[in-house]
Amino acid sequence: MTQTTSLSYTLVISGAPYTSQAPQSALAFARALVAAGHKLDRVFLYGDGVYLASCLTTPPSDELNWTQAWSEFLMETRTPAVACIASALRRGILDSAEQTRYEQPASNIAEPFEMAGLGDWVEATMSSSRILYFLPTD
Amino acid sequence: MNTLIVIDSLPYGDWRGREALDMAFSLAAFDRPVTLLFRSAGVNWLRPGQAADQLHQKSVERNLSAATVFGVSTLIADKAALRQYRLPSDQLPEAACETDLTPAFYQQFDSVVAL
Repeated sequence: MTQTTSLSYTLVISGAPYTSQAPQSALAFARALVAAGHKLDRVFLYGDGVYLASCLTTPPSDELNWTQAWSEFLMETRTPAVACIASALRRGILDSAEQTRYEQPASNIAEPFEMAGLGDWVEATMSSSRILYFLPTD
Repeated sequence: MNTLIVIDSLPYGDWRGREALDMAFSLAAFDRPVTLLFRSAGVNWLRPGQAADQLHQKSVERNLSAATVFGVSTLIADKAALRQYRLPSDQLPEAACETDLTPAFYQQFDSVVAL
């Protein structure tokens, strides 16, 4: 009889949708690990990966909307997802608090993504069994 | 957990290196052991006399000089890349040292992050 140990994972995505395969590889992996009975602690978007959190992503109707696909998965599995605030602000991804703080005309972060600092990533390195990085070249 | 953060891209071509450096500083801020490795074109981060203002960017030299203040005690440069980019070891910042990148080098670390 094979006994498997349940592990907890944090996925770090640093490649943008539509310019890299990182978000779709990460989503396939996330679905597989949950299906296998492991726990997905959180998803952390870093660098160009924060573009995944833009609710303004509008691909052609015959292409998958990766932001929407990720949002649905995160809500179904109740997984926290964080966009690094420094990476996000630099690339024009804002929540309503940052919109107000920087007096910008709009916010555009998709639900259920939230913004937080690298401290969340550091905490993940201490608490998750595994950290996997999905890079622009993946 | 002892983490190696790798910078392997030119200092002003994209933001990957700066964002890797932010990761190193964040680990150090939480008292996590962290080492910075400069390899491939990334060794140019260590080149003195950069004129970043001509590119309207902040100098990475200044960022790196803060590394020890933030608690990143070890900066390591790939010896082969230093030769390739003609960067003599006596021109490296005081906190930097050079090494050969062998499997044994990487095996010292629990985690290696290369954006």
